[in-house]
Amino acid sequence: MNARSHGRPARLVTTLVRFMADRFPMHKLNVEAMIQKKEVPLHKMSWAYYLGGLVLFFFGIQLITGLLLLFYYQPSVSDAHASVEYLTRYVPGGALIRNVHAWSSSAMILTLLVHLITTFAMKAFERPRELTWISGVLLLLITFGFGFTGYLLPWHQIAVSATKIGLGSIELLGQYLPGSLADIPTRVKEAIQGEASVGQATLSRFFAAHVVLLPLAAFAVLGLHLVSVQVHGMSQGVDVPSRRTERFFPFFVLKDASLWGVMFFVLVALALCVPFESFFSYPLFEPYDPLGSTPDGIKPEWYFYFVYYPLELLPFWLVNLLMGAAVGVLLLAPWIFKGTSRKTLRMLAAGAATYLVVITLFGDAIYEMLKGGH
Amino acid sequence: MPSAFFYVGLPYAALALLVGGTVWRFKRDRFTITSLSSQVLEARTLAFGSLPWHVGILVVFVGHLIPFLVPELWQAVTANPAVLIGVEIVGLGAAVLAALGLGVLLTRRLLNARIQAVTSTMDLVILLLLMVQVLLGIVVAITAPYGAAWSAGTLMPYVRGLFTLSPDAALVAEMPAVIKAHVVLAFVTLALVPFTRLVHALVVPIHYLFRLPQRVVWASIRRAEELDNQPGGDPAEGRRDLVKGALGLAGAGVLLAAGVLDKLVRFVKGDAMSKDQKEHHMAQKLGRLEQTASQRALELERMRSETITVAKLSELQPKSGKYFIDYQMRPALAFQDEKGLPILISAKCTHLGCTVGSQADDQGRILCPCHISYFDIKTGRPNDGAPAKEPLPRLGWVIRDAKGKVLASRSADGTVEGSVDPKAPDAASYEVCIAKKYEEA
Amino acid sequence: MRPLALILLLSGVAAPSAALAYAEFQKHIQATSGRNVNCAVCHAHGDGPDGVKPGQVGSLTPAEVDRLNRARIAFEPGQTVDSPILNAFGNHIVFTVGKRQLLALKNDPGALAGRLQETDLDRDGISDGQELRDGTHPLDAQHGDPWKLMKVNTRRYGLHLVLLAVATFLGLYGLGHILRWFGRTAEAAMQGLRDRGRDEP
Repeated sequence: MNARSHGRPARLVTTLVRFMADRFPMHKLNVEAMIQKKEVPLHKMSWAYYLGGLVLFFFGIQLITGLLLLFYYQPSVSDAHASVEYLTRYVPGGALIRNVHAWSSSAMILTLLVHLITTFAMKAFERPRELTWISGVLLLLITFGFGFTGYLLPWHQIAVSATKIGLGSIELLGQYLPGSLADIPTRVKEAIQGEASVGQATLSRFFAAHVVLLPLAAFAVLGLHLVSVQVHGMSQGVDVPSRRTERFFPFFVLKDASLWGVMFFVLVALALCVPFESFFSYPLFEPYDPLGSTPDGIKPEWYFYFVYYPLELLPFWLVNLLMGAAVGVLLLAPWIFKGTSRKTLRMLAAGAATYLVVITLFGDAIYEMLKGGH
Repeated sequence: MPSAFFYVGLPYAALALLVGGTVWRFKRDRFTITSLSSQVLEARTLAFGSLPWHVGILVVFVGHLIPFLVPELWQAVTANPAVLIGVEIVGLGAAVLAALGLGVLLTRRLLNARIQAVTSTMDLVILLLLMVQVLLGIVVAITAPYGAAWSAGTLMPYVRGLFTLSPDAALVAEMPAVIKAHVVLAFVTLALVPFTRLVHALVVPIHYLFRLPQRVVWASIRRAEELDNQPGGDPAEGRRDLVKGALGLAGAGVLLAAGVLDKLVRFVKGDAMSKDQKEHHMAQKLGRLEQTASQRALELERMRSETITVAKLSELQPKSGKYFIDYQMRPALAFQDEKGLPILISAKCTHLGCTVGSQADDQGRILCPCHISYFDIKTGRPNDGAPAKEPLPRLGWVIRDAKGKVLASRSADGTVEGSVDPKAPDAASYEVCIAKKYEEA
Repeated sequence: MRPLALILLLSGVAAPSAALAYAEFQKHIQATSGRNVNCAVCHAHGDGPDGVKPGQVGSLTPAEVDRLNRARIAFEPGQTVDSPILNAFGNHIVFTVGKRQLLALKNDPGALAGRLQETDLDRDGISDGQELRDGTHPLDAQHGDPWKLMKVNTRRYGLHLVLLAVATFLGLYGLGHILRWFGRTAEAAMQGLRDRGRDEP
């Protein structure tokens, strides 16, 4: 039996094996390659090499503080809010840990977005790093999942109402589907929330997702991401390969660790001095009352503004189309932008960054300007 | 009076010996004011002994010195429990480190033949003495913790009294035996300083850590060349980095560990509530449970009953709606129209499900605050350009009198049957109900 | 959020009729602070005192009604009251100002804050009067003007922050040196490995 007798399928298998071998040269996972020989290019974008590590740091902080919050949190509609209040008010250090968790979540998403944009601008998704890139995009989605599910857990007005709105937008998709398909989004929404409206079943599901499902998914994808980063090393990052490099160990590692140290200081100082909830009106943090009216000012966290404000301003189908396209382009970037120069990529990335910054900082003002007349 | 001897006589004798003895030694041979180095004879275990010992004992020494120099400041700082615990951890850690280092040094003196050759009796005596003293200190720290706090009223005034020539032995006489032993041994050690290698402590070369490295080698060109060609450069340079690095990391580690542990231990231990707070909190939790219970009761009622009372007809108002819960457990509002009949309308916004406000404006519209949609309460229709496109559904109702007789009803499709006379004598008892048969599927 | 709150006020729906008794204060706070507030600043229930929910008049037991009536006649300042429809801050206002002046202040709602400068019920470092002006909750230490809280807390946790900064600095210093040492040592070890490899085959 030789390969030829199998024809096409055999060739497919060979291609796949080669593909995987290129993406996972596991023989490079040794001391020599990782400590002795690994080099980090030095150029004007070198700072971006630290971002991934920083996201990992914030993720670690989230794990630790999240575990500690679990000591006191009670995921039931009657107790969730009271347990969070108890933790913040009466448990020594509870407020600090909760604030670190909140600040760190925001910091993690911010760093992750910058990491994504710079990685794109540096064309670090180029062969053989396609899987690294895709796993990174998946991690971004998982992180947004963390944000969305975690927002509900304190079970206060803004938490439940924002979740209702978020899940409600799934349902709206139904109007664009023909015939009996139109029911599907509603079914999906009810499957996610577990009952006819957001209630105990939703809380239990979001809790399970936030503390078990998503962390497990994150570990798996993160493992893949880190291994591929290790075996492929740092990407060159600029069109003309830099001749100056820096030893990964100990110099890069040292700077990385120092950055983590400084960030730890900043994080704890922020959490100690500025409670995360002090930016919002307090009626939003009263326990959710299923029979009362919804207070105004219901909004998702700032990191969802880039989709929230377009949803408020543009036709629903258009926003969905754009977001779907964006995720598609992100996932397929290694193939779509195969031949694009880094200069063009940098401009695209700058455009995306400008959009994110403007909509996040000025979204409210733009919204008032366009819709304030009501 | 043994206490007068131990706590007044001995200290002054020890101080006299320290000063006199040092002067005597300096006069006799000033170059012996040092600690005879044995590094050339044996370097490896020396590093593992000398380094921890010196780091540990210096920290402990400073810890004993500061409260004596600036007692008020020290008391103010250690009044904070976190700091006190930190001081306790740092002190105990340093003492253990010192004891371990000293143990290594002692073993080395006793077991290594080359070192034995240069070891004097006094060396062994002082090493053993220090060992006992450090161990006593550790025992004190464990049996009488928070020394930083309790020493403020006892040992500090005693030591200060010695220097202001008004010693008070009574301050020490009543203390536990270990503490007394620790104090007495301290003075004995002090007295021995000029006659042992400890004298080098009086001439600490602080600049050593920061001066350029000097290498001590056998006078041999071959050995020097070997060192130069050694991979990784000069090992002395490396060791200096190791020492500085270890010091920095140890400092950071101790501080961080103290801070994090302090927070963590108290976090895990749980609340520190007063009786009032406990009561208030428990009442609040009970309230929330009752709220959940009442909601469950509503749900059950909606499963079981064919009709459910919303309000008395006379309670309903044209502008100010009354919230109630419909058969699907969604919020709804009850108003009164101009004919005195009820208007029952869903309050779940058709856009994204927020609960619509209960106060109608002058045009008879209610507002969903989430995305600003105005709904007409008569038709349920949203205003033009509102994010909500679908009207709020009107609900059917039934009006019953006190005996349960149905006077009027409105089905979900809007057909009204029967009529109500608001001026009837029993009109005040008329009830507005929702009925299961009128609920939309 | 500010314009939204204003819209709601103009359309008259932000304040449920129940709470209209003291809506002047609510309106004033929202207009000056730009933050949305509800009746829970002073009342036990966010929708105000009228209704049948916990903390509202309709839910009271006879004993609580008794307490309510005693609070309602506390016309002069200095009387400790424990009204079941008020929270600790509401009771504190009645104690400090008295019912009579409180009713008079409806015409000048901004002046109430000035009367509450001396106390800080949640001990977050911002006086109750200032919290009223800022539209933040006077009973929640986690809630306050972020900038003011930062200034207060930086002073309050100064020692922690300094210790943390020292730890960070020491850590960076130590890390720098230890890694340099480790780099050297590892290099030496690698060199040793290579030398052995050269000799053996």
